[in-house]
Order: sequence, then C-alpha cells, then structure tokens
Amino acid sequence: MFRSLLRQQTTVQTGFRGMATAAAQTQRIKKFQVYRWNPDTPEIEPKMKTYEVDLNHCGPMVLDAILKIKNEQDPTLTFRRSCREGICGSCAMNIGGTNTLACLCRIDTDTSKDLKIYPLPHMFVVRDLVPDLTHFYKQYKSIQPYLQRDTLPADGRENLQSIEDRAKLDGLYECILCACCSTSCPSYWWNQQQYLGPAVLMQAYRWLIDSRDEASKIRKEMLQNSMSLYRCHTIMNCARTCPKGLNPGKAIAEIKKQLAFD
Amino acid sequence: MARLSGLQREVLKLYRACIRTVKTKPVDSREHWRSYIREEFEKHRELPKKSFNVIEHLIRTGHRKFEMYSNPQIKDIH
Amino acid sequence: MLSLSTRVGLNTSRTALFRPALIRGIKTIPQPPGYIVGTVNDAYIPPKPHKLEGSLHWTSERIVSIGLVPLVLAPFITGTSTVIDSSMSALLLYHCYAGFQACIIDYIPARVYGAYHSYAMYLLTFGTGVAAYGVYEIESKEGGFAGLLSKVWKA
Repeated sequence: MFRSLLRQQTTVQTGFRGMATAAAQTQRIKKFQVYRWNPDTPEIEPKMKTYEVDLNHCGPMVLDAILKIKNEQDPTLTFRRSCREGICGSCAMNIGGTNTLACLCRIDTDTSKDLKIYPLPHMFVVRDLVPDLTHFYKQYKSIQPYLQRDTLPADGRENLQSIEDRAKLDGLYECILCACCSTSCPSYWWNQQQYLGPAVLMQAYRWLIDSRDEASKIRKEMLQNSMSLYRCHTIMNCARTCPKGLNPGKAIAEIKKQLAFD
Repeated sequence: MARLSGLQREVLKLYRACIRTVKTKPVDSREHWRSYIREEFEKHRELPKKSFNVIEHLIRTGHRKFEMYSNPQIKDIH
Repeated sequence: MLSLSTRVGLNTSRTALFRPALIRGIKTIPQPPGYIVGTVNDAYIPPKPHKLEGSLHWTSERIVSIGLVPLVLAPFITGTSTVIDSSMSALLLYHCYAGFQACIIDYIPARVYGAYHSYAMYLLTFGTGVAAYGVYEIESKEGGFAGLLSKVWKA
C-alpha cells in the first residue's frame, strides 16, 4: 500500500519535471497551412489558412495536430477521422504533397517549413478537407465485392479454402479503401468517370483470385473494354503513396495478365 | 429569349425536375414543397453569371438534395 | 492561386475563360453533376465489353513492343535485309499508332468530346496511312530504313 503510494508520488513528480523541462525548452512552433472552403458561402474562394501549433504539446502525427487545431483554435475546421490508427481510412488527405492517412503521417519536426494540408486531389470537395467519394464507392459497388457462388459448400455450412489459396489474398485484403492511391493516379484524374482506379481494381483482383468465388467470368468480362482497366499506364503512383504499403499496380498487372490468357 | 448557356440549362433542368416531383407528394403539402424549392433557388439568384465553380457546386448539391427529397417516404417539408 | 481554386474540383470550367479561341470553339459534352449517373446508391455501369478494345488490344501492343527489341538490334548483328527492315518499320509504325491511340483515349475521351474523339482517331489513322506509304517508298526505292540511316550517317 505504502509502496504503491510512494510510486505514485514519484511518477507525479517526474511528470511535473517533464512538464517543467518542456516549458523550459524553446517552443517548437510549426505552421500548418490548411485548405479551407465552406459550402455555405460558396461564392468565397477556397483559401489556405495558417495555424500555429507548438509541437511540444502535440502528439507526433498530423492527425493529432489537426485535432488540436480543431479543439483549441478553430472548431469550424472540418475533416473525417475515426480510428486514429490507420485502420478505417477516413483521414486520407494530401499532406505535404502526398496522399496519405493523417493518422499514420508523422509531423516533420523541421519547424522552418510549413506543412500544407489539402483534401484528396481531383475530387469534389464537400467541405475543407472532406472529399466527395460517392463516385469512388459507386465504382467499388460495380465490381460486386462479395462472394458469388452457384453451388453450395461441400459440407453444407462453410466455404472452405486451403492455406495456399488464402495466402494469395495477402497484400490485397488489407486495403481499407482510403482512396489515396486512386486519387494519386493521373489516369484516374483525367478519366475518373470510366477508369476504375487502382483501389477498385485491386479489389476486383482480390475477388477474381478468390478460390471460393465462381463468378470470375462475369468479373473478367466487365473489365474487357478500353476504359475500365486499360487506362492504367503503370505510372505506379498508387504503390508509392499507399499508406498501408500495398501494391495496387502489381494487382492491376496481374489482372491484365489473366485477361490476356483468357 | 436569349440563348442559354449550358450551365443555365442545367439549372433550369434541375428546377423543372424538382417542380415536377412535387406532384408525387401529398396534396396538402405540395404548396410547402413549391415554396421550399423556390426559396432554395432564390437564395443564389444574385450570383454572378461567370462564377462557374459555384454554380456547378450548387447544381451538384442540388441534385443530391433532390434525390434525397424525392424519396416517397418524405411527405412534407418545413 | 489558380491551382488552389481548381482544387474545388471544377477544373474544366475554371479555365474556360483563359482558353484560346480555337479551343473555346470546341463544344464539350456536359458531364453529369458529381459524375453521378442514377442515384447515389446505384453501382457504376461500365462501358460494354469489347474484347478487341480490351485484352486483345493490350496483348498485341505488348507483343509488338517486345518483338521490336530483337528487330531493332538485328541489323547491327546480322547486317541489313529487306525482311527484317520492313517488318521492323511496320511494327514500329503500329507501336506509334497504339501509343498515340492511347493518348487520344486519355486526353480526348469520347465521353467529353464526342465526335472530336472520332475525328482525332480518323486523323491518326490517316497519318498512319501516310506514314505506311512512306515506309513502303523507303523500302522499295531507298534501299530500306537501315540503308537510309547509313546514307544519312555518311552524308
């Protein structure tokens, strides 16, 4: 009892000391330039607004910084966020010129440079950092991202899969549909109405190679035109920007290979 | 009447579609719908003709709202 | 500042005022608001499947570009011959044709430019035809592409 109390006291003390040294340190003020646009006053042009954040009192990630800005400086700043650990894909935005998840992106501690934050490029903006992903989701729906079978499973209960077949899905199923890759693809910028984009094509491949799925003929037929798949010119921005470290470019190449030998 | 630009025609198209859909709503709420639609369009009457960005955005959100409100389960407004 | 305002996502109309008269004359097809066809919850409907434009086109493109590599290198090793030379020029011509075709599909999509897309395609086919005639002339009269190159080299 006594010992635990003592320990508590020491932690409190060290905590205080930590705070004291932080205050004694020079403030590390980092400037964040954030894209602002309000749909309620659409006639006002979008502009960059600069916020100053002391990095000593802020978490390490960009999401921590913009949450801090929203809490303490400007409650009108709008953005999507949910899990703050890179599993929901809500906080995808263009940070310092790269599409990434704000929760997985460290703040560059070099305070001499400003950090610019934009919404995902070439998407319609709903407000501030919130892009309109409706069309992206419509495209995702069009590849029928669910198991399609005509036959019932052998044991009447469950569709089983061998370990090797399951291993094929690694590197594909992890995709969280944050749309970072699709919105970084120049081909998707020019033809996003018809070209499906890396994220959706990677999911198309994921369902194409699933050993339990029996609709691969329809799935392949859907991609047999000049727009849906073949607007991919292997620019590979998708693989470079993916915050989860996946490679949509390779998946698209595999689809092309499968279609060629179809 | 002067020749309308593509954007102006888009706006009129949206307006007509809205007004037509009022017929699918219950009789006693139709007047509310009409006044609401008028009000929404009147809000931006003073917008300069050349602010394409803004008008396109308004058409986009307008279509979104139109689609939402044309749901038959929504019966009245205001 | 311009790049900033285009980020609202309405990039085409923004630049409409600054475009030169020649391009301003081209009427583009207005796109559905927010690119959304049907309701928000409907799936996107892809274009009709067309194998010739899809996998066959892609495969032939790859075969041609892979086939070009030995054909370009062959004259340096074996010396020139009309067969190698003419097949090389024909494949190179198709390679260029396919490349420009991809550019046209990318930048002058039928979805936005309608008939202009076809005009660009006709122009490309015409140009390729002229080039094919030129290749034929070179092969029959100038003693092949390699012969022409060596002539230019010496001159």
